[in-house]
Amino acid sequence: MVEQARSPAAPRFVMRRAYRTFVPFNVAIALPAQLTVLTVVLVPTLIVAWLSLTDWQPTQGIPWYQAEFVWFWNYYDLFHDARFVAAVVRTLLVVTGCMTVEFLLAMGLALLFLDDWAWRKIAVSIIIMPMMIVPVDAANAFFMLFNDRGPINYLISIIIGRPFEFAWLADPNWALLPIMLSEIWQWTPLMFLLVLTGLMNLPENQIRAAYVLGASRTRIFLRVMLPLLMPVIIIALLVRSIETFKIFDPVYILTRGGPGAATETISMFMYNGAFVYFRIGYIAAAALMILIVVVAICFTLSRPLKRHHR
Amino acid sequence: MFGEDKAWARCLKRTAVCIAIVIAFFPIFWLISTSFKPIDEWQKFPPVWISSQPTLQNYRIVFAPKAAQEFAAKQQGAIGYKVSGSAWKAFGDSAVVATAATVLSVLFGTLAAYSIVRFHTGGDSYPFQFLMVRIFPPIAVVVPMVILFSMLRLSDTYFGLILAYTAFTLPFSIWMIRSFIEEVPEELEGAALIYGMRPLQAFLKVTFPLIRGGVLATALFVFILNWSEFLFALTLTTGHVVTVTLQVANYVSASSGKLYGVQAAMGTVSTLPVIFFGYIIQRHLVRGLSFGAIKR
Amino acid sequence: MTQYRHSRRSFLKQTALGTTALAIAPSLVMGTRAALAAKLSLENVHVEAAQRAKELTGGKPVTLTILEPSGSLGNIKPVADKWKADTGIDIQYVEVPLDQINQKVLLEAVSKSGSFDIALPASFGIPDLVTSGILVNLDELAEKYEPEGYQKDYLYTIANYYKGSLYGYETDGDAYVMFYLKDWLDDPEENKKFADKHGYKLKVPDTWEELDAMMAFFHRPDKNRFGGALYRTQFFIAWEWWVRFHAKGHYPFDDDMKPQINSDAGVKALEELIAASKFLYPGARSNGLFENFEAFGQGDKFCNIGWGGTQKFLNSNKSKIKGKMAYGPMPGGIVKGELLKTPYFNWGWNYVVSSVSKQPEIAYLFTLYACSPTMSTMAVRDVDGYFDPFRQVHYKDPQIIQNYSAPFLAVHEQAMRDSIPDLYLRGQGEYFDVLRVNVQAADVGEKKPKEALDEVASKWETITRRMGKQSQVVQWRFLKSNYPQGIRGRLV
Repeated sequence: MVEQARSPAAPRFVMRRAYRTFVPFNVAIALPAQLTVLTVVLVPTLIVAWLSLTDWQPTQGIPWYQAEFVWFWNYYDLFHDARFVAAVVRTLLVVTGCMTVEFLLAMGLALLFLDDWAWRKIAVSIIIMPMMIVPVDAANAFFMLFNDRGPINYLISIIIGRPFEFAWLADPNWALLPIMLSEIWQWTPLMFLLVLTGLMNLPENQIRAAYVLGASRTRIFLRVMLPLLMPVIIIALLVRSIETFKIFDPVYILTRGGPGAATETISMFMYNGAFVYFRIGYIAAAALMILIVVVAICFTLSRPLKRHHR
Repeated sequence: MFGEDKAWARCLKRTAVCIAIVIAFFPIFWLISTSFKPIDEWQKFPPVWISSQPTLQNYRIVFAPKAAQEFAAKQQGAIGYKVSGSAWKAFGDSAVVATAATVLSVLFGTLAAYSIVRFHTGGDSYPFQFLMVRIFPPIAVVVPMVILFSMLRLSDTYFGLILAYTAFTLPFSIWMIRSFIEEVPEELEGAALIYGMRPLQAFLKVTFPLIRGGVLATALFVFILNWSEFLFALTLTTGHVVTVTLQVANYVSASSGKLYGVQAAMGTVSTLPVIFFGYIIQRHLVRGLSFGAIKR
Repeated sequence: MTQYRHSRRSFLKQTALGTTALAIAPSLVMGTRAALAAKLSLENVHVEAAQRAKELTGGKPVTLTILEPSGSLGNIKPVADKWKADTGIDIQYVEVPLDQINQKVLLEAVSKSGSFDIALPASFGIPDLVTSGILVNLDELAEKYEPEGYQKDYLYTIANYYKGSLYGYETDGDAYVMFYLKDWLDDPEENKKFADKHGYKLKVPDTWEELDAMMAFFHRPDKNRFGGALYRTQFFIAWEWWVRFHAKGHYPFDDDMKPQINSDAGVKALEELIAASKFLYPGARSNGLFENFEAFGQGDKFCNIGWGGTQKFLNSNKSKIKGKMAYGPMPGGIVKGELLKTPYFNWGWNYVVSSVSKQPEIAYLFTLYACSPTMSTMAVRDVDGYFDPFRQVHYKDPQIIQNYSAPFLAVHEQAMRDSIPDLYLRGQGEYFDVLRVNVQAADVGEKKPKEALDEVASKWETITRRMGKQSQVVQWRFLKSNYPQGIRGRLV
């Protein structure tokens, strides 16, 4: 892991150590970061791996390292646990749903802001405000908005002309909507900024040329701009997908995963399992499974990214 | 870019932008507005958009509980919620934890980024190992962290939380600062080396002043992340350390249930630093949130 | 030589024995006298507990930290302030939201951070906390300090014990009570119509059958009148089923921890619950606690179910039906030809001492102080808190009578006396979670009642196995033996 590799071809100034140190200098200064990550991430992962093979619960009254081994039964139970499978499926649903809506809205908005007009800068500043709200407070705001006697229901009842007092957060079928809306509201501005930056960095010549040659706007957009924008879009979608996958704050504040388990995402499932029912061994198995899957996906995706970055 | 818009197209565009602005601002407006409402207006139907009898009682409960009680005793209908302490402790704890974690994260991150960019430490995949930390769902790591912290006597301590925050913001620090360092040509340091400086000196005296703005932006960005963090604060503390994100949920009364106005007041004030710093580093937000991949 | 040494050794030994005997004997006598003297007197338990605590501090500044649920400060602070005045020991508070406090205490069992000495977990979570080792077994300390008759005028003490040992003092009277609109009950026209239909006059119902009949009778949505404001949300629906089931005369488990809830009685109880759902107001499926208070306070629903907290709201100026209510205990059932009433104590808060605390004895003395007759009355007086009356003396206090109203207190006291306990077993959360989910699924029509209860029974068997059947059986038999006397013999 720690070597001093030299890039082969290009001539560079060679940073030579002027003195001998016990540990190579470049390693030494990277050590604090490395050690922090090791302690806080690697060691817990090892503990998770151990725990996932046991059925430890604090209510057993024994320390965790003395817990009885159940080997792979936790994994077996997880595969057959309808609640866990539902949580995984639900999380994927939330991610795809939020990504699609965020992307479409962001793209649409960014196109509106492409040209320069009078109060553009102020408009951008206001539009990116949701990003800069503490997620917990945003979730609380949405809790109040979606109250069955709150402003959202009031506006809906004005539009449809009769009283509408729907209890969004208590309905197992619809409770996911406020959660997704909270996430979309908060992070579309980020996608918007990323896409806008990408659009502003597009080479103007190609677009001008296409316009002059008579191509329609839609064609220019689809055939010229979009392909050039692909790297930015992919990065934006990737970054946001990863963050949305981990979604926790809105779910916790708005529904706690309820009613029942109707809005449980993976993070909420693991939180409930570990900190409400204290089935630590079982949840450790779930955690390890998720970690492995996520890391595997990222490895497969990271190679093209690395190539792009070099 | 496409030439002049027709009038109706321009009008449509303006309307769309206006709608976007309203939607973006509405929940924030509601939060602020609720924080000034007296208790009987919190759940009134039809909803009260702007209170006709605005009150500071919610803020008093958050910041000066004794004054709030005196006010409630004098004023009919004002809530006199008994709270064990003001929110100053929460703000203090959040400030301590967020600042310390930011300092550590930026310090370690700068050193590591420097090492990675100039020395190519760890090879191609090393920076991506840090990225992996960001990909881990924190909940998966929290469960064993509780156990680990209990063994290290770090449960419910400032240092434990700071450590956790530092580790999880290091990817941002490293990648952001790395992109800033890459913009500074290596030759500058090379020249300093020729003059006999040691590598670290060269970095600090030559490159660092050039990336100072970027490092500051990274620091503010990391501070925002630390200030807004919720899950670690929820699970790694049992009451000795209280952050602003946790304090909001404490405003529940036995006789009135959730105190929406007080929670809104707490939310409004706790969000102010984030808004403030966020606007300062507005230019760098794109770079930060895309891990340095997208730059202006 | 050896002889001399031997004899000297034996002489020394004898003298040593003698002197030690002389030394021990008086201290033995003194010890027992001291031990006897250490037990506090009942009338002044709070004064003496404070005195003892002060002695134990030895002059050094001591702070006790209490982990309490948000909103209960009104009950704790007056007592804590007086404690500080009496002993000089400072009290600090750590507030957590009320649905998280049990988890925080259990988290402390893992993290052992020492951030609180005393906690107020909900009573149903005590078994889990005991088995995790975070609670101090108070038997020894109670042996040392608790006065004779301290728990005598406590109306409900089942939650204080686990497998025979004391783990905390109950400090809340969360017996379930029914609320009825008096005007509707007394109305002569309604009485005539009802009597013609059912053969008996309107009254505070004694059985669930009568209650369901009355709710059906009063349910007139077209005139904006509703049969009941009962709850059909997850937590509450399981509680209502629990009472309905017990009212049929059965325990949830038999002596070997085999679930009996999917018997015919259980299925019938669930079917009746589902049938009653038709006569509830529209908000029954979504409303939480405070929405329910407000809704019932409008005066257009016949009955409500709740605790002392419900009454504090309905008896205040915020409700339109202040003074217009009749109260009743939980309806029962006819078992073997006779009426069986099964009031239910769900929730409750207990003062417990953390095993990680550095001053468990002083912490215990505080809990003794706070739950003493004098101090607990002071605590319950405050309207802005969760504690409802739980000692006989509370019912005589004028302020408390004013808060709750005398007719309510009469019913509440009776209910507290005869309350069946919650399921005080390790894994209570898991047992009830399975019950909740399935009862609600049956209520909304996703599952048939028998199917739902069968699933609960089979899942309960799995949970019992995981928790360790032997251990669970011991606690279950202990719990069974603590059911109120009048009910114990009549349930099978």
